[in-house]
Amino acid sequence: MDVLLLQAVKSVATADVNSSINYLPIVLQLLVAIGIVVLMMTGTHLLGPKRKTEDKLKNFESGIDAVGNARQPMAIKYFLVAILFVLFDVEVIFFYPYAVNFRALGWEGFLAVLGFVGFFLVGFIYIIKKGALSWED
Amino acid sequence: MNVLILSIFWGIVMMFSGIALKKKGIATGLAIAGVLILLLGNLGDMSTVVITTSTFNDMLAFRGYNVLFISIVLVATLMYFLVSGREIENVGTGGFDYYALIFFVLTGIVIASSFNNLLMLFLGIEIISIPLYILTGSDKKNLKSNEASLKYFLMGSFSTGIMLLGIAFIYGDSGSLAIVPAPSPFGFSFTSLPTLSAVGALLLMFSLAFKVSAAPFHFWTPDVYDGAPTVFTSFMATIVKAGTFIAFFRMFAGGFASVQGSWGLAMQVIIFLTLLIGNLTAVFQQSAKRMMSYSSIAQAGFMLLAIYAHNDMAKEGFLVYTAAYVLATIGVFALLSRVADPGFQGFNGLAKKEPLLAATTTICLLSLAGIPLTGGFLGKYYMLVATAKAGGPFWLVIFAVICAAISIYYYFRLIIAMYFKEGNPEMAPVSRGLKFWLVVLCVLILALGIFPYEVLLNNLLSL
Repeated sequence: MDVLLLQAVKSVATADVNSSINYLPIVLQLLVAIGIVVLMMTGTHLLGPKRKTEDKLKNFESGIDAVGNARQPMAIKYFLVAILFVLFDVEVIFFYPYAVNFRALGWEGFLAVLGFVGFFLVGFIYIIKKGALSWED
Repeated sequence: MNVLILSIFWGIVMMFSGIALKKKGIATGLAIAGVLILLLGNLGDMSTVVITTSTFNDMLAFRGYNVLFISIVLVATLMYFLVSGREIENVGTGGFDYYALIFFVLTGIVIASSFNNLLMLFLGIEIISIPLYILTGSDKKNLKSNEASLKYFLMGSFSTGIMLLGIAFIYGDSGSLAIVPAPSPFGFSFTSLPTLSAVGALLLMFSLAFKVSAAPFHFWTPDVYDGAPTVFTSFMATIVKAGTFIAFFRMFAGGFASVQGSWGLAMQVIIFLTLLIGNLTAVFQQSAKRMMSYSSIAQAGFMLLAIYAHNDMAKEGFLVYTAAYVLATIGVFALLSRVADPGFQGFNGLAKKEPLLAATTTICLLSLAGIPLTGGFLGKYYMLVATAKAGGPFWLVIFAVICAAISIYYYFRLIIAMYFKEGNPEMAPVSRGLKFWLVVLCVLILALGIFPYEVLLNNLLSL
C-alpha cells in the first residue's frame, strides 16, 4: 500500500490481497464523494440568497401557466412509434458484430442471423396486423 | 428442451390466432390444445424423445427432478385453463394475447426450473416477470389494476436489480456463473462462502424471496393480488409462484446447499417472519381475495422449509406440497372469480345456492389448511419431517405447527360463511363443465393425499 499515491503496491502476495488496508482508497473515494455532495448542498443552502416569490415556487411548465390536470388520456402514437423504432434499431446493432465476422462465421452464422431476423419479422408482422402503426384511427 | 421450444412456439401461435381468428370462444380451446402438446413434449423429455439434445453449453439441464416438476406445472396450467378459461376470455378482446403471455410465462418457468447457470436464472425469472406486469394491468379501465401493475413493475424491476447485483458479486469473487460455488482466489471453505460470494448469495436470496413473496419482502403481494383481475391473481398465486420457487429451490437447495453456513441463518429468519406475518395478517382480513393473498405468503413459508432442509425428504415433499398447494388454490380462486363480492359476507349461504361448488371449495380449503387425507396435509407433514431430519432448529418446526393451526381459523371462516350463515350470494352463472373440472381437481387433491406415491412420487424414482 503506497499511501501517497493511494495505490496498492503491485508486489502484494495473493493471500494478502484480501486484507482490508488495500480497500482504503475505496473508502477515501467514498468519503470524498459524500463530502463533496454534503459540502455543495449545505454551502448553497447557507450562502445563497433566498427570494421566495409566488412565481418562483410554481411548478415549472416551460414558462406557460399550468392549465388543468395533467392526468388525462392522451394519444400514445408517438410513444408507440418511438418504442418500436428503438426495438428495430437494436436489431441493426446486432448486425454489426456479424458484419465484422461475416467470413469467419460462414454458413452457420448466416443461418443463425437469418433466424434472428426471422424472429424479428414475426414481431413486425404482428405489430402491423395489430394496427400499432396505423396513424389514423 | 421440448417444453421450452414448444411453449415459445405456442405463444406465438396464440398471438397470431388472435389476429387471424376473430370468433370468440376459440382461444381457450386452442390454449388447452397447446398445454396438451406441451405435456406430450414433457413426456418426450422424460423418455428422451427430444427435438434437440442441445443444452446451450450446459447452461440448462433437462433431466430428472425438474422435468417432473415441469409436468406438475403443466398439469396445473391445464386445470387452470379448464376451470377459468371463460374468465380469461372475458378480460380482454378474445383473450388470445393473454393466453400468449401465459405461454411465455411457461417458457420462463421452464428456464427457471432447469438453469445450470446464474445468467439463465436471471433470464428465467425475467421472462416470468415481464408478462406478469402486463397481466396485472390487463383490466385497463380499472384504476386499481393500473396501480397494481405499476407498483409491481417498479418493485419487481428493483428486486431484479438486486438479483443482478448478487450475481455480479458472486461472479466477481469466483469468476464463474455456475450454480455450484466455485473456489474463489480469496479462500474457500467447505461450509461457508468467502465474504464477497456470501454477500452475493444473500442478495440473490433476498430478490428471490421477493419474487416468491416471502416476508419481509412481501409488501407488494396483497396490493398486486388484490388489484389484478381475479383470474390472473389465481395464475400468479399458483403456477408462477411454483415456477419461481423451483428456481429458489434449485439455487439454494441444489447448488448452494453445501455452503448453508452462509445463508442458513438468514433463511431461518425469512421462514419465521413469513410464517408469522402471513398467518397473523390473514386472520384480520375482511376480504376473501386478500385473505388468499396472505395465505399464499403463509404457504410460501412452508415451502421455504424445504429449501432450508434440502434433503431427499424435502425434495419429495416439495413436489407434493407444490402440487397440492397449486391445485387447491386454483380451486378456491375458481369460486372467488365468480362471486360478485369478494368480502367474506359475499359468501354467506353459498352452500344452499351452489352445493357442489361449496363442497369443492371446502375440500380445497381443507387441503390448504392441512387436514389429513388431503395433499396439503401430506405436504406440510413432509416439510416438518424434512426440517426435523435435516437437524433444523426444533423451535422452527414447533412454530410452523402452531402457524398451521392458526391458518385453520381463517380458512374455516370461509367455510363457515358458506355453510352456516344465511344469505343470497350474488354470483356469475356456473356452467356444468366448470363443476365437472372442479370435481376432478378435488379428486386429484385427495388422491395426492392418499396415494402420493402412485400419483406422483413413483415417477421420481423411475427418472
